[in-house]
Amino acid sequence: MQEATFLILTALADGSQHGYGIITDVQEISGGRVRLRPGTLYTALERLRVDGLIGVDREEIVDGRLRRYYRLTPAGTGRLAAEAARLQAHAAAALRRLNVAGVTAT
Amino acid sequence: MTDQEHLERAYRRRLAWYPREFRNEHGPEILAVLMAGARDGQRRPGLAGSADLIRGGLSLRLFPCVPRSARTVRAAVWLTCAGAVIPALSLILGLVTLSAKGIVGGLIVAAMWLCMARAIGQGRNGARVFSVVLFGVVTLALGIAVFGFGGPGHVAGMTAFSLSLSVLNWLIGLAALGLLWLPASTAFFRPSILVEAQRAARLAERARIAAVRY
Repeated sequence: MQEATFLILTALADGSQHGYGIITDVQEISGGRVRLRPGTLYTALERLRVDGLIGVDREEIVDGRLRRYYRLTPAGTGRLAAEAARLQAHAAAALRRLNVAGVTAT
Repeated sequence: MTDQEHLERAYRRRLAWYPREFRNEHGPEILAVLMAGARDGQRRPGLAGSADLIRGGLSLRLFPCVPRSARTVRAAVWLTCAGAVIPALSLILGLVTLSAKGIVGGLIVAAMWLCMARAIGQGRNGARVFSVVLFGVVTLALGIAVFGFGGPGHVAGMTAFSLSLSVLNWLIGLAALGLLWLPASTAFFRPSILVEAQRAARLAERARIAAVRY
């Protein structure tokens, strides 16, 4: 799973969000490192929809502009959980070996 | 025209890179996000902003519904697009040297590669089957050109340069075909009639949503 995809799914993990909300949330989750551009975001959202990992939650009109809220599907929740567990296992292994080698993570 | 209107118009033009169906569905929403992210007094999308939209649009045009997981199919679509490069060069060369044969031949062959790429990206199994037939015909023609009349080195009307380009394109086709028929690709392809039916269902669903909205 690409990092951007992982971060988008993470942004949707605790509730539905609209496009701009996802962008600001991903920026926050990544500590300001990942700034998704709209073209990248919507291409990724379309792929995730095709893969059945996300769906449209609802639509709102705010200041005359359309906002569409996206949410995780059960398949999306499952994929994110599996990916998070995988990354955690890898990170734990790396930290364990660094400790053995006498290096402390900062 | 205010700065904001100016910028919005420029963004609308960039959105033309996206497939029409997708644009109808998501255009207003993407525009809202683009405008929300705009700086004060910004009048142009900027190079990076434009590149982002063009890349996204092309990607959705090339792989309208290839899931990320179908890596072999995506690679095959890319290769098939790459196959259009040499014929396109021949078209440009034909335009420069005013060779009717180069122009027409280059145009037809380049268009065929791109049409195949599109049909494959839509998951039409017919396109996968047809690409085998097409590849067979090209292989036969190339075989005759190389080993036919007069043996190797006596290729009628072909320079060594254009022959090697043909062989290169043939190799691209071979690689694309190999990817398409891998077991990993097979799951993605459906009969054309099913592709059309799903498309129709999607359009009907969008029309229903639009009808509810207004």
